[in-house]
Amino acid sequence: MSELLDIDDLHLEFDTYDGVVKVLAGVNLKMRRGDVLGLVGETGCGKSMTALSVPRLIPMPPGRITAGRVTFDGEDILSKSESEMETFRARHVGMIFQDPVTNLNPLFTIREQLVDAVLYQRQGGQKTPGRWRGFLPSVKQMRKEAHERAVELIRLTGIPDGDKRIYDYPHQFSGGMRQRVLIAMALAGDPDLLIADEPTTALDVTIQAQILRLIRSLVAQLGLTVLLITHNLGVVARSCERVAVMYAGRVVEDSPVRDLFHNPKHPYTRGLMAAVPQKDVNRGGLHGIPGIIPNLINPPPGCRFNPRCEHVMGICRESVPPAIEVGAQHSASCFLYGQDA
Amino acid sequence: MNHLLEVRDLRKFFPVHGGLLNRKVADFRAVDGVSFALQEGKTLGLVGESGSGKTTIGKCILRLMEPSAGQIFYDGGDITHLKQRDLRRLRSEIQMIYQAPAASLNGRMTVGQIIGEPLWIHERLKGDAARERVLELMNVVGLKDEHYYRYPHEFSGGQQQRIGIARALAVQPRLIVLDEPTSALDVSVQAQILNLLQDLQDQFDLTYLFISHDLGVVRYMCDEVALLYLGKIVEVAATEVIFEDPKHPYTQALISAIPEPDPDMRGGEIIIRGDLSHAFPQRGCPFAPRCHAEKLATCESVPPPLLEVEGAHLVACHLHPPLSAAEPA
Ligand SMILES: Nc1ncnc2c1ncn2[C@@H]1O[C@H](COP(=O)(O)OP(=O)(O)OP(=O)(O)O)[C@@H](O)[C@H]1O
Ligand SMILES: Nc1ncnc2c1ncn2[C@@H]1O[C@H](COP(=O)(O)OP(=O)(O)OP(=O)(O)O)[C@@H](O)[C@H]1O
Ligand code: SF4
Ligand code: SF4
Ligand SMILES: [Mg+2]
Ligand SMILES: [Mg+2]
Repeated sequence: MSELLDIDDLHLEFDTYDGVVKVLAGVNLKMRRGDVLGLVGETGCGKSMTALSVPRLIPMPPGRITAGRVTFDGEDILSKSESEMETFRARHVGMIFQDPVTNLNPLFTIREQLVDAVLYQRQGGQKTPGRWRGFLPSVKQMRKEAHERAVELIRLTGIPDGDKRIYDYPHQFSGGMRQRVLIAMALAGDPDLLIADEPTTALDVTIQAQILRLIRSLVAQLGLTVLLITHNLGVVARSCERVAVMYAGRVVEDSPVRDLFHNPKHPYTRGLMAAVPQKDVNRGGLHGIPGIIPNLINPPPGCRFNPRCEHVMGICRESVPPAIEVGAQHSASCFLYGQDA
Repeated sequence: MNHLLEVRDLRKFFPVHGGLLNRKVADFRAVDGVSFALQEGKTLGLVGESGSGKTTIGKCILRLMEPSAGQIFYDGGDITHLKQRDLRRLRSEIQMIYQAPAASLNGRMTVGQIIGEPLWIHERLKGDAARERVLELMNVVGLKDEHYYRYPHEFSGGQQQRIGIARALAVQPRLIVLDEPTSALDVSVQAQILNLLQDLQDQFDLTYLFISHDLGVVRYMCDEVALLYLGKIVEVAATEVIFEDPKHPYTQALISAIPEPDPDMRGGEIIIRGDLSHAFPQRGCPFAPRCHAEKLATCESVPPPLLEVEGAHLVACHLHPPLSAAEPA
């Protein structure tokens, strides 16, 4: 089976006042239909930028893709025209953004926003017929169908009394319910891929558990393909089948979820695991990773983790470690593995 | 018993305005009868979802907010109604560290000035003597001497939190209220800060009130844990007891929902309905609308008091009869 998504050697830079920020430096990521992939890593490592490269929502300028390819269902994304992209986004990718600015509009009811999302996606990103044209029979019918779909979506996301609550405004909804609405909007056009960027980070743990269960049940019901972005290893362990760990603009380890947690290979992944306060870790038993994330204007040459790595070798400062097979469908980009190959 | 801090029946109500004239129409009970005691040199975790009243309790203890009712004892003395003059001394004994490191540091002051300010305010220390103390404090929290003349924005979140910790330590406090000190930090940096806090506790015999919504962090840091729900404590016990044998249905749900970084522990979480909502006044148990346990008739009508159900294990739930009732002495 071929890949649904193939991000290949993606390089992204930002021009800033202080210099050129090398945000992505050769990201490789593949997803098949039905995959539930967790993309983890600490703040600023490039998770959101990697995800936004798929619907091509990175602001350019100041951003610039300097190398690499993004292929979706066999199509080359980076060479599409802007209007082709509009259609592509509406039809194929559902997105839950990390940035709250892009969240719900406080001035419109949940229903209006959901109906608009449905229409937008039905029309393949073309302008939706405005409410003022609602007297046209065809438009009327379309809006009626969109309304039915909106109610169906709201039910799907488990909002109690959804068909009534749909007439509420966002401020009448709690954080958890708003997140459900955002999931409903992202699913409005039956996307091939759902990208959820930190969907539970702002939520309390009981609500987080509800949302993660919802995502799992949607995966089971609809066979969704999900790219779940989070900095929380526990969320990944709970929800994903595969994991890609990012550090400073590169994927450093890629593995089935069990293998990653039981047998992490990359020194950074190991460092992350040792830093999570988990069961049976007693006082003094946590280990932070020494040092801080590198400045991406002048990133360290070679392996970007080398200033913080306790296994650093000469070669680590000279060349970028390639992804090396370290197990079944498990790769790590580190010279500790298979150097002599 | 040598309790450094004791809080008795603390309440903090905020007025709710409404109606045509925007008059006060009701009280919003942010903290509603909270009692706990904290032993010197120990760490008590205060856990609860957003809006449960954690920060409000912290601010009442520091008297950054006036409690509506209840008493606060520090080192044996009642500090609930201290006058402004005596508050200054209290504030060198009790310090607070906040969640957002950047927001709690004055961006126009250098690191040296930020850490030196409390030394001037509380001890009138300045010049070389102050500088020396500041450098010592910076060293204690893992900052380098050359950071002295830098500004907060030049630092990462973790380093900013170190600056905040150094500033809090400057006045040699005995009690520190830590309000989500690591929730804005990455996990690798969080671990560094948690370890630093533990080292400082051992080194200076500090007592911590550790506010957090992250149960994993609380399990690592605390000797004892109190769980808050809608401004009330629903369960208190030693940390191992809370995690091994949680009694209150809310505690059980919270603990089962900790996202443990272990895929083999998937499933088994108790998912409770709804969310924290103060929307309607509750006559019975405040948790009743979300409770997944086999409820009793009294759940909807009688608020369950916080009672000792086992030695030093307090629970507010009708399903758990108090010690005295279970085994009449
Ligand atoms: N417009 C921009 N100009 C300059 N740098 C940018 C811009 N947008 C993003 N970056 C940088 O790109 C890097 C990657 O950003 P990204 O948002 O992908 O990180 P992330 O992994 O999603 O982090 P977080 O967990 O904080 O969301 C960061 O270092 C960020 O500072
Ligand atoms: N000055 C105030 N006026 C009115 N209401 C307030 C005020 N301060 C806090 N509240 C309310 O009191 C409740 C408890 O707030 P508090 O900040 O103590 O919660 P918290 O447990 O610290 O939550 P979080 O985890 O979000 O920090 C909240 O519902 C809040 O909206
Ligand atoms: S490549 Fe070298 S520096 Fe990088 S993680 Fe591996 S051993 Fe460490
Ligand atoms: S008192 Fe009743 S409603 Fe409240 S937690 Fe116990 S069982 Fe649930
Ligand atoms: Mg992001
Ligand atoms: Mg708070």
